[in-house]
Amino acid sequence: MKDQVVSNLAWRHRKAAAFRYFCIGVTMFAVAILVVLIYQVTSLGMPWLDMQFLESFPSRFPEKAGIKSALVGTLWLISLTALISIPVGVLAAVYLEEYAPPNRLTEFINLNIANLAGVPSIVYGILGLAIFVRFFALERSVISGALTMSLLILPVIIISSREAIKAVPGSLRQAAFAVGATRWQVVRSHVLPAALPGVITGVILAISRAIGETAPLIMIGALTYVAFVPEGPMDEFTALPIQIFNWTSRPQEEFHELASAGIIVLLAVLLAMNAIAVYIRYRGSKKSS
Amino acid sequence: MSESVILDIDDVCIRYGDELAVRNVTLPIYEKKITAIIGPSGCGKSTLLRSLNRMNDFIHACSQDGKISFHESDLYSNTTDPVEVRRRIGMVFQRPNPFPKSIYRNIAWGPSINGLGGNMDERVERALKQAALWDEVKDRLQDSALNLSGGQQQRLCIARALAMEPEIILMDEPCSALDPVSTARIEDLLFELKENYTIVIVTHNMQQAARVSDYTAFLENGVMIEYGITEDVFTRPENKRTEEYVTGRFG
Repeated sequence: MKDQVVSNLAWRHRKAAAFRYFCIGVTMFAVAILVVLIYQVTSLGMPWLDMQFLESFPSRFPEKAGIKSALVGTLWLISLTALISIPVGVLAAVYLEEYAPPNRLTEFINLNIANLAGVPSIVYGILGLAIFVRFFALERSVISGALTMSLLILPVIIISSREAIKAVPGSLRQAAFAVGATRWQVVRSHVLPAALPGVITGVILAISRAIGETAPLIMIGALTYVAFVPEGPMDEFTALPIQIFNWTSRPQEEFHELASAGIIVLLAVLLAMNAIAVYIRYRGSKKSS
Repeated sequence: MSESVILDIDDVCIRYGDELAVRNVTLPIYEKKITAIIGPSGCGKSTLLRSLNRMNDFIHACSQDGKISFHESDLYSNTTDPVEVRRRIGMVFQRPNPFPKSIYRNIAWGPSINGLGGNMDERVERALKQAALWDEVKDRLQDSALNLSGGQQQRLCIARALAMEPEIILMDEPCSALDPVSTARIEDLLFELKENYTIVIVTHNMQQAARVSDYTAFLENGVMIEYGITEDVFTRPENKRTEEYVTGRFG
């Protein structure tokens, strides 16, 4: 009897160990693919990555081609998208979590937000083309792109912000109400500060997605050859993913290498944004503890 | 000594959806006395307590009949502002729930948002002294309240309620998450507080009710079985159910 128990234990330990190695293996596989990708991109793109590349406009000649208009276009696009989508998304989440009565209308809104998060991005492109470009006659401007991108990432921001707000314990709200606070004072002083790290994480993920999106921008006609930088929200523009897409679709090998250089710039922009998010979270957690 | 009723609960029923949690309870709360509400789990004690400072307003399915008068004005009339009610009737919860901020901010936040005048430092000190916490925290008021022990956190929550200078303090099983030493400290505190405050305390702990309260109400299944002077309820209860409960034969 005793032996049986012991052998059984050994078998269980083997199973536990096997699962552990399996998990390590899967993780390594994912990391390895990422390393290969980054290696390939940097080995191809690095020789092209210099100030000349960053400061030049697109060109037919690979050695003269640069990414200036696309980089500035992306920065414009993302800044405007953030300005529009963050306040709207976070406040919508606050409304739905803290104020909305649990009735049919709220349920209907919830259902729709969940569905919208799953709609393919090209559909948002069509919507943006119909509403912003045509109906509001904003043309192929940065603001059209930013509004379309905002629509695209709003469901993501709303859902993740709601999760962060929902995670704030009810006992904290009750404590604040019990000393005679109004709903706004509770939200402002307790719920939002406690939810902030989660909200920021969701916002950054959403914005990062917007940086990489190409389909909706092609749909609303962000130009692929733009030899100027936008100077206002009504100017035409192009963006990094579009420029990269354009270069990869050309036959010459040099342009493929330029695309790799463009990808490095895109990754750098993404990493910079994530770094900002980490910093804000770090500061937030230091303040509350 | 004349005893005046500060809070008059008159034929109150509270429902969660279709479920009747509190049935036709009529109960006076006397000024500057401690009233204990006892009874088995799920008997509606906490629900009744929460109705006294309109904390049930946040539960959508919750509805209420009957009348609760605070200084003879209707607590639930359309002209009564629930925020004002909660400013004047404070609450201490079952589990310590300090704000994740400094000890000082925990006390000062309520008075500052309500625009209570006077020197804030003095107000914080007074509240912490009343809650018997001052000596333990006076050198680290800017530390996070979350670094305090459970018993200290609960006294901080009492201090937070006291800083508002409320007329009534509602306590929902304030010692249930605490060890015996912390519990004893809070019970000592209750005796000092009743000089100036009216206290309504919900408790599971029979000895606690017998020790600290002046009046006791016994609830079972949402019905108030017995109410009276604490000594009477515990030594010569009129109802057999009360006797069985307070002597520990059930519940």
